[in-house]
Amino acid sequence: MKALQIPAVLIALIVLAAVPWFGSDVLVQFGINALLLAVLAQGWNIIGGYTGYASFGNSVFYGLGSYGVGIAMVQWELPFAVGLAFGVVLSVAFAILLGIPVLRLKGHYFAIATLALAQVMTAIVSNVKIAGQNIGLVLPPLNNDLLFYELALGLLVVATLTIYWLSRSRFGFGLIAIRENEEGAAVMGVNTTLYKVLAFALSGVFSALAGGIHAYWVTFIDPESAFDISLNVKMIIMAVFGGPGTVFGPIIGALSLSAISEFLSSEITSIAGLFFGVVVVAAVVLMPRGLADMLRRFRTTGWRYFAENIKATRL
Amino acid sequence: MSAILEIKNVTRRFSGLVAVNDVSFDLQPKEILGIIGPNGAGKTTLISLISGTLPPSSGDILFEGKSIANMPAYQRARLGIGRTFQIMRPFPGLSVLDNVAVGALFGRGGGNAELARARELARAQLDFVGLGKNVDQRADELGGPGRKRLELAKALAMQPKVLLCDEVMAGLNLVEIDEVIDVIRKVRNEGISVLVIEHVIKAIKSLSDRLLVLHHGEKIADGDPETVLANQAVVEAYLGKRRA
Ligand SMILES: Nc1ncnc2c1ncn2[C@@H]1O[C@H](COP(=O)(O)OP(=O)(O)O)[C@@H](O)[C@H]1O
Ligand SMILES: [Mg+2]
Repeated sequence: MKALQIPAVLIALIVLAAVPWFGSDVLVQFGINALLLAVLAQGWNIIGGYTGYASFGNSVFYGLGSYGVGIAMVQWELPFAVGLAFGVVLSVAFAILLGIPVLRLKGHYFAIATLALAQVMTAIVSNVKIAGQNIGLVLPPLNNDLLFYELALGLLVVATLTIYWLSRSRFGFGLIAIRENEEGAAVMGVNTTLYKVLAFALSGVFSALAGGIHAYWVTFIDPESAFDISLNVKMIIMAVFGGPGTVFGPIIGALSLSAISEFLSSEITSIAGLFFGVVVVAAVVLMPRGLADMLRRFRTTGWRYFAENIKATRL
Repeated sequence: MSAILEIKNVTRRFSGLVAVNDVSFDLQPKEILGIIGPNGAGKTTLISLISGTLPPSSGDILFEGKSIANMPAYQRARLGIGRTFQIMRPFPGLSVLDNVAVGALFGRGGGNAELARARELARAQLDFVGLGKNVDQRADELGGPGRKRLELAKALAMQPKVLLCDEVMAGLNLVEIDEVIDVIRKVRNEGISVLVIEHVIKAIKSLSDRLLVLHHGEKIADGDPETVLANQAVVEAYLGKRRA
């Protein structure tokens, strides 16, 4: 099983990289969206999946990444890469300044506090002149979906390699220990405050890069769409559906849910809106530890897997 | 020899309730100090004050002569203070081996950064406490006695200079108690100072070099185990109550 994993991942990667050469324009556009969502799910995976802090503030990172690119390219006429770097700097600064107070909160309190941050950021950016206030910014167009697709894929690869490293490093073990029992981690020598802030910032780096690429691709940003909280909900659903705290789970979750939701919205529009809600309920009840865990355990336990999970939720 | 740990007039209040009241004592290098006292006497609170999961309301705590009273818990761990939890809290989703590996990865001096090396050290520690066969199990699949040993292995993997044990023998049978006593003696022989909180009087009497009694948060006796257990105040506060 383990020996087959590396070739399987490489083949999947080659197929994904080749999509723009044989796929239709629509497929490539779908791919860019799905890959960026996968990056967001992986970003959330670091703070939510590995560290156990269910952040609703990751759409803020995404928004700051979008505005980093927007402001740099439109207002200062700087290259795209500089804009990406600017967005990352903004996100890391945000993660450190607000992470220190907010990451003291636990569980629901943390979730609610980060939710409030996203609302506050929308309001602030709507009043910042350089960010185009509530009208937004129009970026110089670049008609090159191949480039955007490969950029998004490259970013996903880097995010996944980072998480792979995390899963077998001292830093990653510290994060997992915090998730499993924060007080227990502290008395064993884990600098919990530092580690949580670093995880939040790292999560922010990937979200910001995804936001920056998306902004340049769609060539338009405004506060409502850049700091859209439903995007945060989506990345959580995808990560949790695929398997939070695993290396590949969030990718599988993001790509499969994107595909299903795309199919539904083209076939039966009225149901598509309900889709994510249904997925949340089904995932929480039937497979609370995600698709990755389900696939692994299903082979040995079979349908009993679902029965046991239903029993455990005590409906 | 100077004390490795000095507790100086430490008090801890919980809104009105004084859980630990003006307690002072020293722990000497390589000493096994037993602490007994009825439920609610403040024993667990005392360990939390030393390990840093609770700040003291007043008083000072010195480790190797330097104050650690305002230091966060992780820094105390890195100086060499390891503790177990009475209410056992392993990292439930991790394997028994990786639970202990966390101690080796962090722990005293910042631990060992190499994961493979940390797991090696963890395996040795698990063999030492008698959990060698359970390394691949998930921690939350262990039963009570197994978890007690896991608590010990996690703290020991940190390579501590001082080990604080909070009722590691509670709920164990006589054979298991003897095994844990044996482990603690070996730990001390490696040069580690041990503070043992226990309810099992017989066990702690034979294990401790010195015995301290807490009652309503106050230290009511401190000295040689035989003498302390014969002390009238101790008999009334603790032993008498149990017999009644
Ligand atoms: N976190 C806390 N908040 C409020 N009261 C506490 C807390 N922890 C302990 N106490 C109280 O302090 C007293 C001492 O508790 P504890 O140290 O656990 O005693 P022991 O370990 O000797 O049984 C008890 O009365 C307990 O109810
Ligand atoms: Mg106690």
